[in-house]
Amino acid sequence: MGEKTDVWQGTLALMALRTLESMGPLHGYGLARRIEQISGDRLQLNYGTLYPALLKLEQEGFIRSSWGLSDNNRRAKYYELTRAGEHQVKKAAVEWEQTTAILARFLTSAEEA
Amino acid sequence: MRKLRAFWIRLLGLIGTRRNDDDFAAELESHVALHTDDGIRAGLSPEEARRQALICLGGAEQTRQAYRERRGLPWLESLFRDFGYALRTLGKHRGATAAAILSIGLGIGANATIFSMVSRFLLRPAPMGDPTTLLALQTTHEGDECCNNFSFPVYTDIRDQATSFSGVAAYFEMIPASIGGSGEPERVFGQAVTSNFFQVTELPMVLGRGFVNGEESAPEVVLGAGLWQRRFNADREIAGKTVTISGHTFTVIGVVTPAFHSVEQILGTEFWVPLGSVAQLAPILPSQGSREDHWLAVVGRLKPGVTRAQAAAELNTLAQRFAVANPKTDQGNRFSFDQAGTMPPHERSGIVLFLGALMVVVLLVLAIAGANVANLLFAQAASRQRDMAVRLALGATRAGLQRQMLTESLLLGLGGGVLGVVLSLWATRTLSALHLPIPVPVDLRIDLDWRVLLFAFALSAFSGLLLGVAPSWAAARPKLANALKGEDALAHPGRRISLRNFLVVAQVAMSVVLLSITGLFLRSMQSAANIDIGFRSKGLLMMSVDPRVHGYDAPRTIAFLTQLQQRVAALPGVLSAVTTDNTPLSNTTRSDDFHVTGVADKDKQNINTELFMVTPGYFETMGIPSISGRDFGGETATGLKTAVVNRAFAERVFSGSNPIGQHVADGGTTYEIIGVVGNVKARSLGEETRPILYRSLQQSVANDPSFLGYTLVVHTSGNPAAIAQAVRGQIHALDPAMAIYYEETMEEHVRAAYFLPHLAATLFGAFGFIGLVLAAVGLYGVMSYAVSRRTREIGIRMAMGAQPGTVERLILSQGLMLTLIAVILGWPAAWMVSRLASSFLYGIQPHDVITFSIVPAFLTAVALVACWIPARRAASIDPMRALRTE
Repeated sequence: MGEKTDVWQGTLALMALRTLESMGPLHGYGLARRIEQISGDRLQLNYGTLYPALLKLEQEGFIRSSWGLSDNNRRAKYYELTRAGEHQVKKAAVEWEQTTAILARFLTSAEEA
Repeated sequence: MRKLRAFWIRLLGLIGTRRNDDDFAAELESHVALHTDDGIRAGLSPEEARRQALICLGGAEQTRQAYRERRGLPWLESLFRDFGYALRTLGKHRGATAAAILSIGLGIGANATIFSMVSRFLLRPAPMGDPTTLLALQTTHEGDECCNNFSFPVYTDIRDQATSFSGVAAYFEMIPASIGGSGEPERVFGQAVTSNFFQVTELPMVLGRGFVNGEESAPEVVLGAGLWQRRFNADREIAGKTVTISGHTFTVIGVVTPAFHSVEQILGTEFWVPLGSVAQLAPILPSQGSREDHWLAVVGRLKPGVTRAQAAAELNTLAQRFAVANPKTDQGNRFSFDQAGTMPPHERSGIVLFLGALMVVVLLVLAIAGANVANLLFAQAASRQRDMAVRLALGATRAGLQRQMLTESLLLGLGGGVLGVVLSLWATRTLSALHLPIPVPVDLRIDLDWRVLLFAFALSAFSGLLLGVAPSWAAARPKLANALKGEDALAHPGRRISLRNFLVVAQVAMSVVLLSITGLFLRSMQSAANIDIGFRSKGLLMMSVDPRVHGYDAPRTIAFLTQLQQRVAALPGVLSAVTTDNTPLSNTTRSDDFHVTGVADKDKQNINTELFMVTPGYFETMGIPSISGRDFGGETATGLKTAVVNRAFAERVFSGSNPIGQHVADGGTTYEIIGVVGNVKARSLGEETRPILYRSLQQSVANDPSFLGYTLVVHTSGNPAAIAQAVRGQIHALDPAMAIYYEETMEEHVRAAYFLPHLAATLFGAFGFIGLVLAAVGLYGVMSYAVSRRTREIGIRMAMGAQPGTVERLILSQGLMLTLIAVILGWPAAWMVSRLASSFLYGIQPHDVITFSIVPAFLTAVALVACWIPARRAASIDPMRALRTE
């Protein structure tokens, strides 16, 4: 297992949205765990930073939250994607792909040179 | 969009903080519980599992803080905190706060009032569609002064040939008329417009519609909103009903928006009829076919996409084309335009100058007020240095303290702004109620529109911030060690010229300028009061009628006026009654060029002369002395035309030789001079004495009827206002439908003529007084502060044997030094600025010796008093107590 990486600025929101899109409603802790698992445990997520990010997404109307019961009967706040959130995932994913593609070109051309 | 939504939610997040905190605490608790459960399942002890969970969360308090900051708007919260603290601080120093707000309020109020005039007369566009594409066209003949109206054929040529405009409309600017409706008939003014006028101007209608093509001479009328409300009780069903205008029946088709009075926004016209019906309503009209009678104002609406430069170029081409087609009449004619709704350039420059001078003055007032407040804030900063030092020592940042102090001064500025707006609300009402001495309706009402409010807000916020900058900078940089010990931490040893001294010098210097201008206008009013108007003002009542607009022809008009004079003269208490076409000091007369007949053309000297029509007995009634010859009497409409001239006319035209029996002519008509009378002020108080020619009313009504009706002048032995009702009764006994207007006593009329010198003296007097009080208070404040700071020094001096008198002189001389410097700086500035005022002064020079010698002396005297009070206090210091203070 390689070095753990900090989460890059601005990507956490996209990760959270994408995870909610594929997994359905999740509570904060569950979401954090899923993000770590999907990254193959290569991301070092500071759980505390997740909540302000979720609040921002909620304020922007991409997700909504409600209190519910977890599998082992604990009260937890669940987050789920809104319609606007579904659009946002697609839009942000495309943008992110373009960014990485451009960056990739730079990196490969630099190697060739 | 998303950002905005988030912003609103965060703004709302400022409310209900408590519940949200609890909610998030519960969420974090549940997070930790879930994580702990996982840990236990993985085989950790419950304590270890919880410890791990808390570590992974990364500091509960930081998380909470980050969450809180995201939820609300932290900068806004701290701003609220600053405002709250500032309010409390200002509340604690009630006296200083009130003084500051009052100072700024007076300054802002003066500025808002004057700016509301600027906004009304120079900035506000007329409510006519897109104001930038509506152009008012003018024509100018080569070598003449700008700007003339259009003749009908030239207008139609432009309308048909110009491609830059989507429409070109023309209108005849002023038709006096008598209008029916509820109550006695009323005299109003209207305009006659081409049928496309309402399409071109895109005027909004309250109800109904404007004219359309094909209604060039339809008997239809559009009413102004004011007239509709006043005389027709705002009848919503009025469209289709008929009204009587000067005896002719018109059908109402619409009511125009209340914001519209005329295209130029000055004339207060109240109805609009098609141009084709103008002949029924207006007395003598220029011929429609002539290219030389300039009687129509013209506006054009630019086509979308056409620039003004393109329009100007096209009008140039048209002017050349017209000159070729009509070389006799159109040669040398040029066309130009301005945005419609703005004042024509030659009138504009005068107004700009007047308002500019006023703006300078009120900004001076504000600057003086501002210097006052800045000094006050300085004194406060000095007394708060210990507080500041403690806060700095406890870890507050200087930037934070400065922001704090700036918030306070900003609040002071805004508080002053609110007070200023209230003051100017009152001032604009008062000014709007003033009556201008001219016989045509003008709409000069001013009010606070959004431009004025924005200006007042920006000015008060700006002055608030500006005032706070220096004091807050100083206050946030106390010498910590000194301040904590309770010593003066703002004093910079060895520095003699403090910012406070500089401010007070600037303040007094500005007062010198302000007071000099005030002095000039007061002197101007004084000298205006001594102007000899040349006729009596006591015991005269005036009342105007216009029989022509009621369908009277010339013989019937003369018969009506003659009968009326006889009936009124028979009333008890009436000494005499006469009729004229125009009273002196009305700012309007007719004038014409006169020359002596029988003189060779090359020696012919044309003298521009004021013309009045009068009936026999006029000079005696008006109290104008007869110098030689006789009065009118026995003239017949067809007989030889006679004239009485004033002394100025006799001197200019006949230079000393006897004018009686001589003949003078104005182009067409020849008059025999039968008498000479004393000079009067014809148009306005400020004028140089003009030549006047009086002609017989009986001989003039037929071929040269008055445009503004006729005025009955009644000389009474008692109070003239008391017989007004009886005179009205006589008019209505002769014709119950006759509209009566401009009913006033001669004293009221003459008082109105003093409008300008009076207005200027009132405005400048008020501003000058405010400025003087503010400057005196400022000087007093600085000197008291100096005394309080030097208490110990003075104590030592007195303990060493200084006499109270010496101490008093020490303080006084310091204050006088400041005043002297200020006067030396301000005097030449006032000397220069006074030239601006020269065109508004009556009978005195702008560099009036009395003003310029009294003002500095007066100001020095006031300064002396302002310094004397603190000097007395300094002299009464008890050395023992002073030395024990610390």
